[in-house]
Amino acid sequence: MSSVETDHQLLGVIQSNPNGVTNDDIVKSLTNVSPQDRVLALNKLLQQGLIEVLKKGDKLIYRGKDPKKNSALPKDADNEEKIVYGLIEEGGNKGVWIRDIRVKSNLNLTQLNKILKNLEGKKLIKAVKSVNASKKKVYMLYNMEPDRSVTGGAWYQDQDFEAEFVDILNQQCLRFLQIKRDGAEKKREGPLAAKQFSCCTVKEVHKYISDLGISKVTLDEDDLETILKTVVYDGKAERIMTAESSYVYRAVECPVEPPGLVQLPCGICPVIKNCSNCGDVTPTTCEYMKQWLE
Amino acid sequence: MSIFYGKLCSVILKQVFGKNVQSVAECLFDSISRSLSVIIKTTNLTRREATTALAILIKFRLVTFTPSVSGLIPEYSLNRDAINYILRYPRYVHLAQTKFGENGSSIVEELIRSGCLPASAVIIKCMNNYDNKVKPELYRDVFNTMVTENYLIRLPVPKAREEVVSEVCPTLSIEDYEVFLPPDLDLMELMNVQNGNMQHCRDHEIFWQINFERFHQDFRDQVMVSAVEKKLGASAGECFKFILKTMYTKTNPWQQSYSNPFTLAEVKHLIDKSSKNLELMKYLDQYVSLIAEDSLGFIRKTGDMGGGQFVVDFERSFEELAYTTVESIITEKFGSKASRIFRVIRMKKYIEQEDIQKEAMIPAKEAKLLAYSLVQEQFLQIKTIRKAGGGGAGPAKAFYLFQIKLRQIVKMLLDICYKALYNAITRTDFEKNENKRLIDKSQKLESIVDAMRERGDAEEYIEEIRETMTPPEREIMDNVKLRLKTLANAELALDETIFLFQMYLFHTAYRPPVKTK
Repeated sequence: MSSVETDHQLLGVIQSNPNGVTNDDIVKSLTNVSPQDRVLALNKLLQQGLIEVLKKGDKLIYRGKDPKKNSALPKDADNEEKIVYGLIEEGGNKGVWIRDIRVKSNLNLTQLNKILKNLEGKKLIKAVKSVNASKKKVYMLYNMEPDRSVTGGAWYQDQDFEAEFVDILNQQCLRFLQIKRDGAEKKREGPLAAKQFSCCTVKEVHKYISDLGISKVTLDEDDLETILKTVVYDGKAERIMTAESSYVYRAVECPVEPPGLVQLPCGICPVIKNCSNCGDVTPTTCEYMKQWLE
Repeated sequence: MSIFYGKLCSVILKQVFGKNVQSVAECLFDSISRSLSVIIKTTNLTRREATTALAILIKFRLVTFTPSVSGLIPEYSLNRDAINYILRYPRYVHLAQTKFGENGSSIVEELIRSGCLPASAVIIKCMNNYDNKVKPELYRDVFNTMVTENYLIRLPVPKAREEVVSEVCPTLSIEDYEVFLPPDLDLMELMNVQNGNMQHCRDHEIFWQINFERFHQDFRDQVMVSAVEKKLGASAGECFKFILKTMYTKTNPWQQSYSNPFTLAEVKHLIDKSSKNLELMKYLDQYVSLIAEDSLGFIRKTGDMGGGQFVVDFERSFEELAYTTVESIITEKFGSKASRIFRVIRMKKYIEQEDIQKEAMIPAKEAKLLAYSLVQEQFLQIKTIRKAGGGGAGPAKAFYLFQIKLRQIVKMLLDICYKALYNAITRTDFEKNENKRLIDKSQKLESIVDAMRERGDAEEYIEEIRETMTPPEREIMDNVKLRLKTLANAELALDETIFLFQMYLFHTAYRPPVKTK
């Protein structure tokens, strides 16, 4: 049997199982190939980048590789570059931290930096800053869309949290809930019905916000649920669990008037702790009092 | 009881009763009880001054007396909680006005002015105020209704001589049935003694006082009803009013955590009898379940008897109200983002710094700043959980969790309230002193003008007198008046916050801080 034929057969066996095959499987399927030929063929395939070797427990597993994936990597890439590229590829859209690459690849830092720079220059990979730790850079393939946990989702522009965007959405959600409640109160079908009508599901709010078109980024329902929660945390809405164990939201009014304490400056005075009959802060010389009484 | 409360009491008493009473009360405030000789020594007053001051305080029921341990001398102690009731006097009068009309408010006013009085004396004083235009029967009837509805309370009297145990000071006692027993008044006799000696009245030894607890009960109802009204609408508010009414028929109003159960049928019965709100009648069961299901948690369902059995949950109600109040104070003091953080922590109970910013959707830096400012001002507490081991080497493994201790916050805020109230009073005194000359002048002028009007002098002549006050002076005067008004309003508003917090502390305490029967 010619060596080319052996290669083809071997590749066929390996690719037939997407999870990879062990050495024993190969022996079973290719009974007519001697161990020497098998080793030769495996090495050849490995060199061509058609298969990869993985370790599962203490057994080696051979798995077919998608040849298209590797096409991005130029032919002249050396072994180190291939390994690093492979590691970054494995990281997917979550990215890989440089330290993890170093540990896994066993390369020293200067060499690794050089390789990474090289790959970056060729636009094969890119570095993305994580929102969780601003100093931590992660690498991923150039054409990957970074994961939400890395970019922070819709609420981050580069690494900055978009507070204004969140505030506007918060206001709009609240407005929607209020419109809904006012509509429900006009119906006059009894208090429980009014309460029922004033409840909104996340879906309804999502539709309203999407129709408004205030957001350039597409928001999904989970995003809006987070915003609705902030409305609840502002004390302007309630979160009610329905029978289907999902949540609905409704606008509510604050049950108490603004407390008397904050109607005079002492309630919000930043130096009330220092206030007494003598010293620099006294009720008779107080600037806040003076402004308030004028 | 804090230093600020002590200071506050001191200025209140000075404002109302003057310096001597103030120093006696200050002396008593510091200790559980003191004897007369100690009071004289510490206050540097003469014996006569000290006894007068004590008599005033006793008459207003702010001081009580008991024989000392040795049984040889009487000792006096201050009723500290009652002192800030003095600031509520306008509210008591207002409440009496709305419940019992003009006559009711003048009865309450007279009782407040004198501390305690016999019924006949109250009626005579009221009549004198209105130049006898109102018939005494009217006053008597109002007085009796107020007694039967527990707004006025009869004070204990000294025991008869043969029963007295200690010779040192009189023992006061009253039979239970007498406390709210309307007085037996002879109107003919009243007319006769109107200008003569009170001693001739039959009841000159039976004293009456306003029953603060009953008034506070109404204030508490108002707080709760207005909360329901504001959150769930007017009809729900009315519904809750009837619920409270039903509840009081079976429950001691100052029961601590929750009331005895009542049924929907009972509420319905009461509403059918006395309400004209058709919507409420039609949807009564819905309104009741609306209140029961709401996050305010004012009432709680306990069974299905009689169309549904409910209790009024005071503990939950006032916790909720206290939370809302604290939250709006935080909003005013630190901004709405801070109150959002506070609510996040409230809902999550224990939470780490990093999770706060994620939940509240606030930029990390701002969230950190706000959370730690709240910690600094004692609105939040940090709980540290350390992992065992670690020793000295390596980073310490610990979790820092934010949490809320409401009772602690309320006590802290109550202290600030007392301080603010003290400041408002001090400032009022200051403003009055600064402009003393002007205030005196304008008062004098007003009385002259009034007198001239009564005499029927010519209008131009009056105008001439008025002009002795120059325009700049007048402007300053108006300004001062406005300031004093603002301060007075703030004092009343502040008292509402204090009342709410006191109710919270009372209803959630293991042992009641406010004295109840």
